[in-house]
Amino acid sequence: MNPLHERLHLLNRRHFFKSTGLAVGRIALAGLMFPELARAAGASGKSVRSHPVLPGLPHFAPKAKRLIYLFMNGGPSQIDLLDYKPGLPKIYDTDLPDSIRMGQRLTTMTSGQTRFPIAPSKYEFKQYGKSGIWFSELIQHTAKVADDLAIIKTVHTEAINHDPAVTYIQTGNQIPGRPSLGSWLSYGLGSECDDLPAFVVMTPRWSAKRDAQALYQRLWEAGFLPTKHAGVALRAKGDPVLYLNDPPGVDKEARRDMLNAVSQLNQLEYARLGDPEINTRIAQYEMAFRMQSSVPDLTDISKESKATLDLYGPEVTMPGTFAHSALLARRLAERGVRCIEIFHREWDHHGDLPRDLPLQCRDVDQACYGLITDLKNRGMLDETLVVWGGEFGRTVYCQGKLSRENYGRDHHPRCFTMWMAGAGVKGGMVHGETDDFSYNIVKDPVHIRDINATILQRMGIDHRRLTFKFQGLDQKLTGVEEANPVQGILA
Amino acid sequence: MATRRERVPRRRAHRWLRSAGAVVLFAGLSWSLRGADAKVDFNRDVRPIFSDNCYTCHGPDGAKRKAGLRFDLKEGALAKLKSDNFAIVPGDPSKSALIQRITTKDEDDRMPPAKTGKHLTEAQVATLKRWIAEGAEWKPHWAFIPPEHQSPPVVKEKRWARNPIDGFILARLQKDRLKPSPEADKVTLIRRVTFDLTGLPPTPAEVDAFLADHKPDAYDRMVDRLLASPRYGEHEARYWLDAARYGDTHGLHLDNERSMWPYRDWVVAAFNRNERFDQFTIEQLAGDLLPDATREQKIASGFNRCNVSTSEGGAIDEEFYVRYAVDRTETMATVWMGLTVGCAVCHDHKYDPISQKEFYRLYAFFNNFTEKAMDGNALLPPPTLRLTAGEQDKKLSDFSARIAELDRRIIEEVAKFSYTEPAQTNAAVWTNRAEYVWVEDDFPPGAIAQINGGTAELQLVEGAAAFSGKRALRRTDKGLAQDFFTGASQPLIVGMGDALFAHVFLAPDDPPKAIMLQFHTGDWLHRANWGDPDAIAYGEKNTTTKLLLGDLPKPGQWTRLEVDVEKLGLKPGAKIDGLAFTQFGGTVSWDKAGIVTATEQEDRSGVSQLAWEKREKAKENSTLSQELKDALKAAPEKRTPQQDKALRDYFVANIYAPARSTFEPLQSELKDLKKERQKFEDSIPATLVSEEMAKPRGSFVLKRGQYDQPADRVEPGVPAVLPLLKARSDATNRLDLARWLVSLDHPLTARVTMNRFWQQFFGMGLVKTAADFGSQGEWPSHPELLDWLATEFMQSGWDVKHMLRLIVTSATYRQSSRVAEPSLRVDPQNCLLARGPRFRLDAEMIRDQALYTSGLLIEKMGGHAVKPYQPPGIWEAVGYTTSNTAKFEQEHGEALWRRSLYTFWKRTAPPPYLTTFDAPSREKFCVRRERTDTPLQALVTMNDPCYVEAARHLGARMMEHDAKEARRLDYGFRLLTARHPNSREQRILQTLLDKYEAKYRQNPDAAKGLIAVGESPVNDKLNASELAAWTMVASSLLNLDETLNKN
Repeated sequence: MNPLHERLHLLNRRHFFKSTGLAVGRIALAGLMFPELARAAGASGKSVRSHPVLPGLPHFAPKAKRLIYLFMNGGPSQIDLLDYKPGLPKIYDTDLPDSIRMGQRLTTMTSGQTRFPIAPSKYEFKQYGKSGIWFSELIQHTAKVADDLAIIKTVHTEAINHDPAVTYIQTGNQIPGRPSLGSWLSYGLGSECDDLPAFVVMTPRWSAKRDAQALYQRLWEAGFLPTKHAGVALRAKGDPVLYLNDPPGVDKEARRDMLNAVSQLNQLEYARLGDPEINTRIAQYEMAFRMQSSVPDLTDISKESKATLDLYGPEVTMPGTFAHSALLARRLAERGVRCIEIFHREWDHHGDLPRDLPLQCRDVDQACYGLITDLKNRGMLDETLVVWGGEFGRTVYCQGKLSRENYGRDHHPRCFTMWMAGAGVKGGMVHGETDDFSYNIVKDPVHIRDINATILQRMGIDHRRLTFKFQGLDQKLTGVEEANPVQGILA
Repeated sequence: MATRRERVPRRRAHRWLRSAGAVVLFAGLSWSLRGADAKVDFNRDVRPIFSDNCYTCHGPDGAKRKAGLRFDLKEGALAKLKSDNFAIVPGDPSKSALIQRITTKDEDDRMPPAKTGKHLTEAQVATLKRWIAEGAEWKPHWAFIPPEHQSPPVVKEKRWARNPIDGFILARLQKDRLKPSPEADKVTLIRRVTFDLTGLPPTPAEVDAFLADHKPDAYDRMVDRLLASPRYGEHEARYWLDAARYGDTHGLHLDNERSMWPYRDWVVAAFNRNERFDQFTIEQLAGDLLPDATREQKIASGFNRCNVSTSEGGAIDEEFYVRYAVDRTETMATVWMGLTVGCAVCHDHKYDPISQKEFYRLYAFFNNFTEKAMDGNALLPPPTLRLTAGEQDKKLSDFSARIAELDRRIIEEVAKFSYTEPAQTNAAVWTNRAEYVWVEDDFPPGAIAQINGGTAELQLVEGAAAFSGKRALRRTDKGLAQDFFTGASQPLIVGMGDALFAHVFLAPDDPPKAIMLQFHTGDWLHRANWGDPDAIAYGEKNTTTKLLLGDLPKPGQWTRLEVDVEKLGLKPGAKIDGLAFTQFGGTVSWDKAGIVTATEQEDRSGVSQLAWEKREKAKENSTLSQELKDALKAAPEKRTPQQDKALRDYFVANIYAPARSTFEPLQSELKDLKKERQKFEDSIPATLVSEEMAKPRGSFVLKRGQYDQPADRVEPGVPAVLPLLKARSDATNRLDLARWLVSLDHPLTARVTMNRFWQQFFGMGLVKTAADFGSQGEWPSHPELLDWLATEFMQSGWDVKHMLRLIVTSATYRQSSRVAEPSLRVDPQNCLLARGPRFRLDAEMIRDQALYTSGLLIEKMGGHAVKPYQPPGIWEAVGYTTSNTAKFEQEHGEALWRRSLYTFWKRTAPPPYLTTFDAPSREKFCVRRERTDTPLQALVTMNDPCYVEAARHLGARMMEHDAKEARRLDYGFRLLTARHPNSREQRILQTLLDKYEAKYRQNPDAAKGLIAVGESPVNDKLNASELAAWTMVASSLLNLDETLNKN
């Protein structure tokens, strides 16, 4: 962060007092006296919020105001969903040619297998939309918005196991300790919302087998960035935001009385000690109070029209489902939350893929369609970037016993498929090509760093310039190696 | 949400900006560090510019260096360039190519290149010009020069200074014409220092005693009392455990529990006994390598085992050996040396003189642990240490003796047997997979037939109703019914890839809702279901306990059902001795069931060693020892005589039927004994420790840090820029490294450590970047003071309490923290310390304070971590479903009210009430916590049941203190802030109390609801409505800014 920015950031932070509706002393006025700084700080020139944008940002006009990231934790099979390989049934149960595998490393789950037999997808593929993109029958609903999606078939990573791989794509490094994507966005762009956190995370339940790969809070934590940029979990059970609800016997009036008294006492303290941080605390308590009403309002979907609810499918009214989370994602987006991420678990299908994958797809398929359509209907898709994908892909060869009807697939980091939509991403296109086995990339590789660079670019951020000095380095989400936005999918 | 470390007063900044304009803004940032010095100082002013802007291409990394020019070394910077120019001509900026290149208007020529996104400010250019004009004096990076003992500066205001620290602070303040603040009042002081040394506030009685103590050394005696308190160790340990990345789970993937807490208790004890810091260092990094290492020293070596580890399926051992060693190297380098060596994992360090090779030489010290790469998700992945006490050792050795005796007797008995292989029988040799029919016309021999749920008896129908043979099993029922048997004397033996089958006929006019086959292998947990998945309630869907295989077969015809053994979770070698034919409703017939297998079903193992060998070889997970497995694998004619004997002996002792009556009692006794010993052993606490391999693993430079791309082999060693490590002739190991770190000529350890201690008290280190003392780190605000502290630390014999005492008894520390105009203007961040420290308490202190002031705190030291209140779903939301920390089970009683230090730390989902206040996840070292203020924090202290319960107890305490409300309010206020409230504050609280009393009087149910929060019993002597009102007042006090801050 350069020194000027640091200073401006501070100034901006103070603007926020004026929106708290509190008389917090002379300090609150300061921001008003620096219109030139305020202009330099935010391109919009709008009043600056409780999560202010970092001065100098956005680096250029953003296409996306917000990100909705649908993360399929475990590594969905690209071969059974989006990377159609019509030639495979003919070579069912033959060995994967060495010329394709090229001795690349395997996980220890299949490195001991004596054979690597080809397992074609048992699912039917059809072309959809004007663009004629191939979709598996498992995601027929998503296929209906084919012309809004940019399918990227050539995403790749180096990590081969879940924990490092998911940490890598979400934080830019395989080793724990770095800020997550959403934290970077919160840090850089702040939020347009005064009474909700800038970065919200949901972890809906899933339908296939009970044993699912873990998540880690580090996937939405702030790493070395200030903790306020950490994602806040929006929960389906208990308090929707941790500790949001007042204890029994404490109503709104009782809470207000307490906050008034505490605020008065704190102001006396400020008068005595002169530490401006005291006013910050007063303001934070006020924001907590506002959150106590804004969050219930957010989660109350009773006023959504039937037409809207129907878009997301029958589970939309059941809290804790993916469909419900997707609807909440739209509601969060409407309220100005910067980054919304849904982590859906159990996409790790080493065996019995045909038993589990359809169940997982049923959880998310219609909701993905619903979300895109809903955003589009409201004119929000243009300014919302929607990203779908997991941490790696799956192998064309079978893990365990192979039959036409049943098979499993091991982890495959060398190519997998993600899609993006909205925010000026070209719809109805496929980027990149994989070989006939969906094993290696033959055209336009996209590293997960490039994915992150693309996401930042849509948000108006030059990934090379969103930095935070830590351990002597200008740390970046995209790390030290080269990364480039995927220009091919950008309109 | 605002970050606290960014503290700039608005109004003053405004005035300042308006008068000075934007350029001063830049200078303003280093203002506080620069003071009124005239001359440019290379290390302070110039190196940071080079480092930040030039080192990437002109720095230590030889591979990326451009034009052969480097600015990290004097020789490099002053050398003649290829162009015959000189980058720097001392004394002459106009001849220096450097100045030309950074000032040129030509975009292509200008440095730093535009694509780096860096550019030099006018002020920076001016600094470089001035530095060259002044002669371009070069100094090595300050942090690599050993600290020299500094004499405290002589200052005029002698009356203010209390110890040498103050001289340094005062001298620096005077450069900016600042005056120190007066001493804080005694009440503020006792609260400040009590928190700083014990993590808890003082009691009103302690405050009174201190106020009444008018002797000149009253403060010093108080400090001594606090340093002697066992709470001191608990508090101080907390900072260290952040650095040591201590947690109660493995941290990766499953994130199961692991037992490290004895190490945590060791840290607490080490601080309490004021262990010398050099010893503290050596024992943690290499306690296991000390000659005749004590148990405590071995526990201390657990420091190296605190890193996160994995056992994820598919993970590659070598990759994780590398990760663990890198983590340990980075942790050591940051914690003791403030060096960011991690940059050199992939390439030479860009800023500091640490080459990639040097990194791997440090790494070589940490690459030789006897641990396995995969931790097995175990509580105690070896090497570990059982911490026996009292008679436990003797009891363990008794067990061992008894076990040895039994082993001996078994060997004796084996020798008495002679065994000869019987002649081959004519049993079919099973080479190909074939159908083996188990149930046909009757249940197999030995089967005990039973009925579950159905009413009628077992019904066998004959003739055409059967699928094959003579008879079939038929049942009509309205609900769940099972015809089943167990105890077949010839169980089915499962082989790899086998399938189980049965034939079924559903009556077309009366089909069931669902049918199920259930197999018995000691338990009944293998079920295959067809039809309605909910009809038969047994098992969990989509697991091996209830495999869902789709719709019912078509009624009116015989259908063959077949299911893979793997899907049922039946491992090769498993024995099925029972089968349940199950239906829900309808009329169902069953016939001909068995297995499609390549495994010989008639088990002759008991009489034939050959038969046993064959069967054993087919097992996927043989439990035989490696030696026996190897023997089995060898072709019989190639086995050594020892292998032959080992196999025979094993067979006779464990398998051979005629010998069972001899060996069974012995073996069952042995088994029981071992079980008993295990149970006893498990009851003894244990901890992970370090242990060095007899022969080092061998370390290599790894190309781009890739585990599978080793380059040159390296021996353990230290970077050349640091003092020489005197290698021993035989082998240099961690012990040498640890001793080297605390050698008196080491420039970093004492400075880095004292800087962290300083940071603890003042909120910011003398070097702000506590984790980076390299060239990208911040220049120290008081370099001489830092050196004085470092040398004093070493000369005192690394006496931690001595150093902390010096800090807290200094006049600097004892200043009032009132923010006065001049110091705020010149030094908003309080780097120069013209005022006392004031900042928000850490997470643990806030919670502990609530527990302590309410009287709930249980001051029990040490032991297994505890699980107090936590909102539901925190672990469940992220946990791997089979992890043993997937489900949070809150404890009860004392566990709820222990100090936060003892809270169970699950690293992938750490305690939310602590992380909300910036506690780290402990996945990685943390030498400096962020300090933020967020609304989520307000929600914790207002609504977390822990705080609501504490408020109730605090309220009750206030009520019981006095009959008069004013005195009660005063008491509560004092418990938290140590001072009496003034009359305005009293009034505000009284008004609040009156409101709540009225409210809860009218609404006793609400009152009851509020005071029922928490598991501690409600004081029923108190009126519920009144208690509720006082609870809310207490909660308000717990949420005061003054309560949450150290002042």
